[in-house]
Amino acid sequence: MARESFVLTNGKVVIKPRTKIWLYTAIVLVLFFACFLVIPIDFRTIRLAQVSVILEKLFTPAPGKTWGDYFAYMLKLDQPIMETIRMSFAGTTIGAALCLPFAFLCSRNIVKSKWIYQPTRVFMNFLRTLPTLVVVVVVAFFFGFNVFTAIIAISIFTWSIMTKMLYETIETVDMGPFEALEACGGNKTKAFSYAVFPQVMPIYLSYFIYTFEINVRSSVVLGYVGAGGIGVVINENIGIYYDRVGAIIIVLFVLVIAIQLFSSWVRSKLQ
Amino acid sequence: MKKNYSGERLTVAIQLKRQPPKWIYNTLLTIVVFILVIYSFSGTVISADRLNNFWPSLRVMIKGFLNPNLKFLFGLDDASIPYLTLQTLAIAFAGTLIAAIFALPIGFLSARNVTGKASKIGEIILIAIRTFPEIILALILIRIFGIGALTGTLTIGIHSVGMLGKLFAESIENMDRGPIEALDAVGANIWQKIRYGIFPQVLPDFLSITLYRFDINVRSATILGVVSAGGLGTPLIFATREWDWPTLSSILIAIIIMVVSVDIISSKLREKLV
Repeated sequence: MARESFVLTNGKVVIKPRTKIWLYTAIVLVLFFACFLVIPIDFRTIRLAQVSVILEKLFTPAPGKTWGDYFAYMLKLDQPIMETIRMSFAGTTIGAALCLPFAFLCSRNIVKSKWIYQPTRVFMNFLRTLPTLVVVVVVAFFFGFNVFTAIIAISIFTWSIMTKMLYETIETVDMGPFEALEACGGNKTKAFSYAVFPQVMPIYLSYFIYTFEINVRSSVVLGYVGAGGIGVVINENIGIYYDRVGAIIIVLFVLVIAIQLFSSWVRSKLQ
Repeated sequence: MKKNYSGERLTVAIQLKRQPPKWIYNTLLTIVVFILVIYSFSGTVISADRLNNFWPSLRVMIKGFLNPNLKFLFGLDDASIPYLTLQTLAIAFAGTLIAAIFALPIGFLSARNVTGKASKIGEIILIAIRTFPEIILALILIRIFGIGALTGTLTIGIHSVGMLGKLFAESIENMDRGPIEALDAVGANIWQKIRYGIFPQVLPDFLSITLYRFDINVRSATILGVVSAGGLGTPLIFATREWDWPTLSSILIAIIIMVVSVDIISSKLREKLV
């Protein structure tokens, strides 16, 4: 296929560059349709009319009940909501504390030895691939399904994800102060806590809030397998009392928005 | 040596003493956080029975994990791990692509430099989608699309629009205005401006964001199976209910291999893009 070309006034010929975008688009499309070889679609079971029915069931009071009942139910949720917040807070705090030494060990610019940072990274990567659900079940095997189990699972998740975020940040800091402290005889831990930590502290706090928000949302999943918090209440009511589930969704929505507003307020204070 | 306004010699020791005593504040903060964490554990009841059985349980669990269910791990029918792993990947891939397609217009809508004040509408839509818990979305969609992988795909397709749209909008907001002004100057219309001014600038960013989201979605596709929305999650939840460690071990092996290889491939592809 002849490509488009222009002859400039100075006699040079500009040829339009060949683009491979159509080839890539075709590959992606083929892959997309290939996906549906393993995703069965049964048109007989799709009931699109259900969309409006379910939305109405969720966000309006059940027949025979008033809007007063609907909102009164929201107020009764304080206990499980507090439990969710407590679980997420404790889990995030423990995980965030654990991640400090490990992020230190994973940073290539602080720990120069390959024999230390590579194994630590492999271990943290392994921890990150474990689905939280599996962690919950393993912990629950020993301690039963309760808040304790949920906190441990959330801690492990927070530990794994925050270590990665933090060491990637540590690797970008200004190493001048660190080298200066080492030069005047400070050991690595001292140099880290006085030269590197103050630099990453604001970012560390914003990661903390970000992970806290993720954990509040994922506690819905944890509750679904019975580990406490608002998810348990959802699991008890789904499929039976749609209006209650709708009320819980609204409460969760408000909670997440509140955390986001709080976190953007904290972040603006930190900068 | 420099002298300060009150005439005394300024040494490092004096300067350090002058600093506001941070340790009081730090200690108080630590104590408060500590109390809050302890308080969070309150109300937990761990039965003595389980604690007494700690070591025997550990032995049972480790023995189970070391003997994965091989028939399940290498089976070829559609209830075995290879098929279900493929299905999980398919759910994540198709879901991410659907989400990326929907996130494009919403991303443009919520980019402040494209639509101005109207961007608030897009932002609110995106926040609403983002905060809606994925698992509840799946539970609702199951009632519409039935049990199976299609529900998982659509859940990911809808839920990922929230984050993809936000990141797309941010990348559009960060682009260079020069090419668009140049196109304005030669009299291009809005489509030509998008095609030649915006698209080439943001495309690598968009692809890298989408790949990153695919990474996340591979993980969430396994979780969605818990509510029977297809993939590896369904046998996972059954195995956990029965404490079937050999089966759980084989599923875990599959998940780890899948997640790690997707991680490696996508980071290689992203390196090529940037």
